[in-house]
Amino acid sequence: MHKERLLAAAHKKVIDRPPCICPGGMMNMMFKEIMDLSGFYWPDAHSHAEKMAGLVHALNRAGGFENYGVPFCMTVEAEAMGAKVNMGSLLVEPHITESLLDSVDDLSRLEGLDISQGRVGIVLEAIARLKQLDDGVPIVGNITGPVSVAGSLLDMSVLLKEFRKKPDASFAFLDLVAKNLISYGKALLAAGADVICLSEPSGTGEILGPRYFRDYTVKYSNKILDALQAPLTIVHICGNLHSVYDVLPELHCNVFSFDSLVPFSEIKAVLPNTAIMGNISTHTLGTGSTEKVINQVKSCRQKGMDIIAPACGLPTTTPLINVQAMVQASKDEIF
Amino acid sequence: MRSKENLLVELSRCVVDMEDEEVTSVAEEYVAAGYPVLDGIVEGLVAGMKKVSQQYEEEEYFIPELLICSDALYNGLAVLRPHLPQDSIEEKHKIVLGVVEGDTHDIGKNLVRIMLEASGYEVHDLGRDVPLHSFVNKAREVQAEIIAMSTLMSTTMSGMKRVVEILEEEGMREQVKVIVGGAPISPAYAEKIGADGYSPNAVEAVKLVDQIIRTRNDA
Repeated sequence: MHKERLLAAAHKKVIDRPPCICPGGMMNMMFKEIMDLSGFYWPDAHSHAEKMAGLVHALNRAGGFENYGVPFCMTVEAEAMGAKVNMGSLLVEPHITESLLDSVDDLSRLEGLDISQGRVGIVLEAIARLKQLDDGVPIVGNITGPVSVAGSLLDMSVLLKEFRKKPDASFAFLDLVAKNLISYGKALLAAGADVICLSEPSGTGEILGPRYFRDYTVKYSNKILDALQAPLTIVHICGNLHSVYDVLPELHCNVFSFDSLVPFSEIKAVLPNTAIMGNISTHTLGTGSTEKVINQVKSCRQKGMDIIAPACGLPTTTPLINVQAMVQASKDEIF
Repeated sequence: MRSKENLLVELSRCVVDMEDEEVTSVAEEYVAAGYPVLDGIVEGLVAGMKKVSQQYEEEEYFIPELLICSDALYNGLAVLRPHLPQDSIEEKHKIVLGVVEGDTHDIGKNLVRIMLEASGYEVHDLGRDVPLHSFVNKAREVQAEIIAMSTLMSTTMSGMKRVVEILEEEGMREQVKVIVGGAPISPAYAEKIGADGYSPNAVEAVKLVDQIIRTRNDA
């Protein structure tokens, strides 16, 4: 069963072969061919539970990834806290259009996240629908990382400067963001998520440097992960990581996922006790040949990758045949 | 009164040490003393920003530091620039910059603007979530030599390819070079969509632009 294999891989137990998943959320798994196949389209599917669940189900059944995962964007949390969102189009994912706050000094406009309202409610309902299938496919509930959410609520440039200039107010802001993300995460688990994946596209080592990466990204991600006590946790950090290799072991996750530009061997050396997930290039998946995809999967398996997954979000123009080849190559005997 | 050399060192230090408030009074002192304003910009503020780039490349500084240093740079420039003699203002090479439609992540783009401006380029920043035709229209309007685009999201990167196509359709591809960057972008992708260059970060973007302009002037 896919779920058992994923749990075993995440806890570094002996398994027949690595699972092949794509968490969703920032690590987008959805593309146009599946929309055509299922008849459920973006941007509608971001706001309709039946369509959201229908899309991920269709991808899995078409020989796609060995998991379900929702939502398809990184705006649900910030929207629920008051940010304005443009829902995008068939090919472009939703994105924040306006910052809610001007400074960490004034958090009065920040709203508490209500799990029954808006698209938070939609995501929870989609998970509940997928849970009802009871088909052994693990369901990933995605959480946008605390620094990325903070950077959606307040202009990222202002936030980064205030990390340095107004640390106390910045910590207070991140405390509130984390509190909201904890209630969201708890609701995802209660609705039936088997896995929590927290992705940080903005709170990266490359952007923050080791000091702020530790003080903000790691501190608040851990706060959230500790509070959730999920059966399985994945953390994805974008970008180059070498400046924070010393800090990565402090993350409280079972599985660590990273960009395609980061060498597997270096991560393996830094995180010997954590399951490693990745890092098939989404550029290759999106525009490369099927053969190239298969070779990348083989190379990852030979190196000892615990879980095969795309290294970033998929482009919406990704051909299904490349995803099918990726999944198949994770199953085939290679040795 | 402090010497010119002393104040140049101070201007540079304010930028490097993130003294974004102190820089204003130092720049005011420099102007009041009647020292050449252009030197204050080039040998003081911009020289400081070059040290900042170096610190960034050496990973002593990261983005939060870079942003505060650039605030110091701009605050200093705001004092000095109005005092520039008219004849010292040269025609600058023009660059149109923006984050492609569908994406609102603009830190990387802002850093590219800061570094290009500090290096003497005239940057027309269209902001974020920029409609693809706007890049080409703006390039035509200001007669820009380069369009620079970035995106952080893999779902929006195909917009960059479309801009190259629009330039071709409008018969402007010969005049306007295209450079791209952003997390999901790679040199291979840049080549694939027919862009003229790729840069992994803001400091490299300046080197890339320098190289394109040099090649163009040599031709």
